[in-house]
Amino acid sequence: MKKTIQIPLGSQHISLLEPIRFKFECENEKIIGVDADVGFVHRGVELACTRSFEFKQVGYVVARVCGLCAITHSLSYTLAVEKLLGYVANDRIKYLRMLMVELDRIHSHMLCLAHTAENAGFEALFMQIMGDRELIMDVQEAISGNRVQFDYISIGGVNRDLTPELVALTHKNLGLLSEKIDALIGLFDNNWSLSLKYKGVGVLSLEEAYTYNALGPLARAAGLATDVRAETSDFPYEALGYTMILESTGDIHARNFVRLREIVNSIAMCRNIIENLPIGEIQEKAKGKPNGEAVVRVEAPRGELFYLVRGSGQNMLDRVRIKTPTFSAIPAMMEVFKGAEYADAPAILASFDPCMSCTAK
Amino acid sequence: MKFFTPFRKKSPWVLHYNAGSCNGCDIEILAALGPKFDLERFGVINTGNPKQSDIFLVTGPVTYRSRERLVELYSQIPEPKVVVAVGSCTATGGVFRGMYNVEDGIDRYIPVDVYVPGCASSPQLIIDALVKGLEVLEAKSKEIEKPYKLFGAIETIANKLSRLNMATKVGQNEKD
Amino acid sequence: MKKIETTLSTLLRDIGAFYIPKLWHFLSVNGIDLGEGKIELQWIFSAYGVKDEIVIYYVLSDYNTPVPSLVSLIPSAIMGEREIVDMFGLTVDGAESGLYLDEDSRTHPLRGES
Repeated sequence: MKKTIQIPLGSQHISLLEPIRFKFECENEKIIGVDADVGFVHRGVELACTRSFEFKQVGYVVARVCGLCAITHSLSYTLAVEKLLGYVANDRIKYLRMLMVELDRIHSHMLCLAHTAENAGFEALFMQIMGDRELIMDVQEAISGNRVQFDYISIGGVNRDLTPELVALTHKNLGLLSEKIDALIGLFDNNWSLSLKYKGVGVLSLEEAYTYNALGPLARAAGLATDVRAETSDFPYEALGYTMILESTGDIHARNFVRLREIVNSIAMCRNIIENLPIGEIQEKAKGKPNGEAVVRVEAPRGELFYLVRGSGQNMLDRVRIKTPTFSAIPAMMEVFKGAEYADAPAILASFDPCMSCTAK
Repeated sequence: MKFFTPFRKKSPWVLHYNAGSCNGCDIEILAALGPKFDLERFGVINTGNPKQSDIFLVTGPVTYRSRERLVELYSQIPEPKVVVAVGSCTATGGVFRGMYNVEDGIDRYIPVDVYVPGCASSPQLIIDALVKGLEVLEAKSKEIEKPYKLFGAIETIANKLSRLNMATKVGQNEKD
Repeated sequence: MKKIETTLSTLLRDIGAFYIPKLWHFLSVNGIDLGEGKIELQWIFSAYGVKDEIVIYYVLSDYNTPVPSLVSLIPSAIMGEREIVDMFGLTVDGAESGLYLDEDSRTHPLRGES
């Protein structure tokens, strides 16, 4: 008789936002092997970027790789092309871009926290966090004109300016959110039944994080000090109060805490940005055609996003390589599942904050 | 049937499937179900089970690998059912149109009742679409409850139902 | 950004001598079609905690030569290797096709016409 049973999860499942199929090899309740099929949403964006669209349009196409971190995709692509064009943005453009990226990080982390709570069985907490998240969505809509998929960044600048009314609204909403996040930190830390679901579940050790090249909140929860914001000099993050958030236990609880504390840090950074916004143009001319090869790394909410752009002085690019955070985190994720209980699988999966449309492009 | 009709009239259960979307519309569906827009106050619940669903919310241009799952899920939803295509790319392929792994919109595979524009569709639009979907659902339910004949059309002679050709023996009317 | 040229036969030795898990973060495997049946393969690394330090090992090769697998050194390289198998139709030992496309797909989208 066979000793193990196979349990599938997906491709359509109530706990999944996106199609991904897992095949868990289980021994009683313990997962001993995992197989994942991540290619359900493969569309072929990389090829279309070099065949169907000119380099000025590609920024808006790559934003459609992922709706949650669309702004980081268009930012990385724009930075890469601007490097090839030899254009350096002024400080106001840099600050406005950073502001939107940090707002995006806040709402993405909140969605992940909500989803983790829901998959651990806390529908009410899910609703509460989703309600608080609307504060940030309102700010995003007011600044950029759309709730998600705001094509805010274009080559040579940003598309909308920040007016005094918007600054006031941002201050007000960030203030409201900041109190709610403090309450959430207390809840996630002290609630007894949440700790039963989260503490010591889905552990990734520091050694495993190094071996499997974990990245983003997954790595920082395990104590691996990696953050692209500290490893690139494209933006003045340190000057605006960036601190790296590290936890040591590597379980779901630690990942939640990395996200919660990063939200607090991002709120502080957003405040610094809008208070110290330099004066300048928001849209400048970036002339020429991209020629050469450029690599850009940007910290997306889920970890490091990497773009390699190669052009040969023409309207069409030669190659756009998109390496998304979830794509390289999959081996580490598979490792976490091994040894976990099957009943914890949806919560563990949600705590990775996987983004399949990023992965499959 | 009669017992459930009034409940289904205002409280459809939805099934959500991502057929290759960028997640933008999916999080807007979540936001629409969340507290600010609060579709759940109408009794709209996101079920994971096709057999309990009335409205099928699809996002994304259909990708090559997800097309079988899409048709499979559609065929598992019991009649009457309504399909709502959320987002520009679900309707026509949008920005993904012509990419090698994309099938350019879900109406190539399943019939669609309501199209929602926008990239990404806002929660207000999604709520409007579900309200529109309810009308379609009601019309479809009425259609199902009508008596219908298996063979031939219903004929009336002098405003009275004719029973002459109501049923025929196998092979009786076949010409060849 | 530092680019180092190597060859497919010495790739494992070079990267084995270079890669220390606690210093270097492995980013990805990348392929660039150069036309006329040629391809440039890149293995990209970044340093932990150092600003703007990216090292790219690259190989100029063609589509018929099998590519050695780095999985014995870097377990997470499997994803990138499966991707280039699908997208370019290369042979990498240990990496199965079927990550994005069908297992038996005859077309490889990023492969240029040769």
